[in-house]
Amino acid sequence: MAMTRRDFIKASAAASAALLVGINPGKAKTAQAATTQDVDKWVRGVCRFCGVGCRVELGLKDGRPVALRGVSGSKTNLGFLCMKGMLFHRIMYHPDRLKKPLYRERKDQPFKEISWEEALDIAAAKFAQAVKEHGPESVAYYGSGQCLTEETYIFQKVMRAGLRSNNVEGNPRLCMASAVGGYLTSFGADEPIGAYEDIEKAYCFFIIGSNMAEAHPVIFRRLMRRKLDKPQEVKVINADPRVSPTSRIADMHLQFTPGTDLALLNSMAYVIIEEKLYDEEFIKNYCKFKKPGKPVTDVGFEDYKAYLADYTPERTASLCGGNITAENIRQAARMFATSRGTMSFWCMGINQRIRGVWANNLIHNLHMLTGQLCKPGADSFSLTGQPNACGGVREGGGLCHILPGHRPVKIDKLRHQVEDLWGVPRGRIPKKPGYHTVAMFSAVNEGKIKAIWINCTSPAQSLPNCDKYRKGMAREDVFMVVTEIFPTKTTELANLVLPTAFHFEKTGVYGCTERRSQLTVKTVDAPGEAKPEVWIVREWALKLAEKLNDPVIKKCVEPFVGLDEDFDLPKAIWDEYTQKITAGRDNDLRGATYEVLMQMADGVQWPAPTKEHALKGGTYKKFVRGIDPLADKHAKDDKPYVFYGPAHKDAKLYFWLRPYKGAAEEPDSEYPFFLSTGRIIDHWHTTSMTGRIPELMRANPYAYVEINPKDAARLGIKPGDMVEVTTRRGKCVLPAKIYVGPMEGMVFVYWHDMHEDRMINRVTKDAFDPGSKEPEFKICACRISRVSGPKQLRPFIVQM
Amino acid sequence: MLKKILFSLAAGAVEAGRASSSDAQSSPIKTNVLRPPGAVKEDLFAAKCIRCGRCVEACPYNSIKMLDIRAGFFAGTPVIYPQDIPCYLCMKCVEVCPTGTLQKVKQSEVRMGLAVIDHTLCITWKLQALCRTCYNVCPYKETAIKLDQLRPVVVEDKCVGCGLCVHGCPLPTKAIRIEPIYSF
Repeated sequence: MAMTRRDFIKASAAASAALLVGINPGKAKTAQAATTQDVDKWVRGVCRFCGVGCRVELGLKDGRPVALRGVSGSKTNLGFLCMKGMLFHRIMYHPDRLKKPLYRERKDQPFKEISWEEALDIAAAKFAQAVKEHGPESVAYYGSGQCLTEETYIFQKVMRAGLRSNNVEGNPRLCMASAVGGYLTSFGADEPIGAYEDIEKAYCFFIIGSNMAEAHPVIFRRLMRRKLDKPQEVKVINADPRVSPTSRIADMHLQFTPGTDLALLNSMAYVIIEEKLYDEEFIKNYCKFKKPGKPVTDVGFEDYKAYLADYTPERTASLCGGNITAENIRQAARMFATSRGTMSFWCMGINQRIRGVWANNLIHNLHMLTGQLCKPGADSFSLTGQPNACGGVREGGGLCHILPGHRPVKIDKLRHQVEDLWGVPRGRIPKKPGYHTVAMFSAVNEGKIKAIWINCTSPAQSLPNCDKYRKGMAREDVFMVVTEIFPTKTTELANLVLPTAFHFEKTGVYGCTERRSQLTVKTVDAPGEAKPEVWIVREWALKLAEKLNDPVIKKCVEPFVGLDEDFDLPKAIWDEYTQKITAGRDNDLRGATYEVLMQMADGVQWPAPTKEHALKGGTYKKFVRGIDPLADKHAKDDKPYVFYGPAHKDAKLYFWLRPYKGAAEEPDSEYPFFLSTGRIIDHWHTTSMTGRIPELMRANPYAYVEINPKDAARLGIKPGDMVEVTTRRGKCVLPAKIYVGPMEGMVFVYWHDMHEDRMINRVTKDAFDPGSKEPEFKICACRISRVSGPKQLRPFIVQM
Repeated sequence: MLKKILFSLAAGAVEAGRASSSDAQSSPIKTNVLRPPGAVKEDLFAAKCIRCGRCVEACPYNSIKMLDIRAGFFAGTPVIYPQDIPCYLCMKCVEVCPTGTLQKVKQSEVRMGLAVIDHTLCITWKLQALCRTCYNVCPYKETAIKLDQLRPVVVEDKCVGCGLCVHGCPLPTKAIRIEPIYSF
């Protein structure tokens, strides 16, 4: 080898320099993913992540999960999965999995492992003590839209009928409470009328406040397919202050200033009326006009028209700013009204608003006005973020004001009905709704709640302005139980951490966005001593009954005593819920027994009052005679649609006259930017799961702040620079991504990061919708400034 | 420390001794082994670069590595292995290069290489899943990489070759790679 002395010196200098620079810390070790050839058995189930409800198959090799795949022909996903859905088997045997109950008396002590017997004893003793000393209002349950229906149902049964507390809440309050409010006030019945099937029949898509390309990628693919099949006929309108991957297929992108959505929607209604594009017949047959106020007054079409007079496209365009012109509002309204079937999609952009219910009402108004409801390809369709927010929480009674089966808790008749069905004395369930989420954690702050059970969610990271609420959770006089599979920001504040079984390690039903219930049966054993929640609640309730000497608590779980927790126990709970509680309600699930759900690979869409109907897949479209058996049952005349929803006794749809209202906190000279938060395709919520999948973490190791290039140039911010995002509540320091995504004067941060510096919910605002009590995550005011040049950051995941 | 350096050098020398002389003389630049932004033609690189290591020091992400003695003639010159740490295009290295081996180019004019998607490996192209990671992480989304029916497509004259896509690709056998194009 020819090498001069000089070369050698140079080389040695180079080598030492390389050593001094340090060793590469960013190398992610990728374990060889199994290929389909390695699998010896495929087991059916539903995806663990978003609300789409994709059917998946888990591949096992020698009894261990090694792969996931979609199945072509599935009704929800047509065989497609996103990367999250394809990789979640990787966390099932993750070394971080919690395997033993952990306890500490004080929150500044380290955890020590204890037995289940001790753990349940402590949990029961603490809850019993709180009830005895401070009354039933001092205990609370905070659940999740990711719990199985059986879990939410039995938890709320024990809390309400057993402990006499309506403090039953869940994280769906943070994501779809406004949609519930919207559906109930406009249509009188919760949950969408149509289904995904309408996508293939629709001719116009109106997507507002949703980045479905990232948050619901599989549904977005169906929508894109439809657009590509008929590129000329099918129109896509996307209304969003941020240019997102969803906007890329849109024929028209309406970029409005955050918080002006209500004006935009009203203005579209204005154009539809002005140009006489409305469906007079539909309005006359099925609708009423309501003016909000105390009391609510009935008004007529002319009043509606007069109230819309403020929202001329010209005036609205100047209010909305962005790229909105009077002409494109008109054009969007025309596309919406004249298509052969218009489907609206929205998600957190509409729901997480201080007037989220109003925004929902205004979307429904457009559909009622144009008769774009109930016919094929037409629907006002709210997308849901979690796999069981609809099935478990909305239907299963997982919020403070509702009992299972869509029953408001304050209505005596319905409450007594539930008490009778459960066989507990009347008056056992309190009439007053409990604390809603923000109020619940405010009560924790104030020390009014002494014992709280947090199940399958991480409010320490997911609540808006979370620092404020973490202080309360850290109080020594608040006893916190957390049931989890991994350490999270919330387990850091817990007294008792109980390890639970993950998806496919327990049996239960998930109900997705389109009213579809799908069963996942236990396939693999949970690691260590992790247990299914249904078992935990049953055993805990039995101990509570003993400690409080209250036979009614025992009565709540009596039908389930002695059953095998892997299958028979959830089955018995499901049977009680469907056969007794949903009977005669609009979400009648009597036909969807475990036997039927095991046969039906794609599950069943409610209403499914009979087995025969459930075996046909249930009801694809509510309220339509000939399709929905309940519509036939409730029909009083021969009109094709029957709106029998439980909230509107007159079986009508209501137009609501809702005015424009801006955000709770608008930018000013001190905080000149809008801050909005959102999601990215490869991560899920707090990253406690996806953050532990190296393939996903490598691509998106930490959150960043998206800044419009014009703003970045003005502020001297370059790509990768560290930027401080400051609001009235605190600050975060994140790397910058300069990108024509957010409009000028707006920055965007995704919330999947556990690191204290980058946890964006530390700065978001906790103002909430007075109707739905859903916080306004999507808008607050902030200022941004450059802190330093690029820095090498490390991904961060909470460890125990 | 010194002992360690000497030991590694000795090990390197042994390895280099084993390697054939043609290896030590031919450029180390190949698939997924790239020069930093703004590099002159590879024919000139080793002659112009004085192996000062400033680019390595300036790189805030530790993306730039110095070749050791095993690279023979090319020892001491900087390279980027995008599979380990890609280039985040902060353009700090071009500013500190004293010889102009890394020329002061604009971020969008960088051509470290070209991303190539292997359609037989990419699960999105194979219609098995909806993955868009390469698209998501690209600093020139919609310019350098586009989605055609949700499948990623590289725009050849816009791709800067930073390798973020290679780094991000979640597959065990990467479905996207960077081929060097030997200038800028």
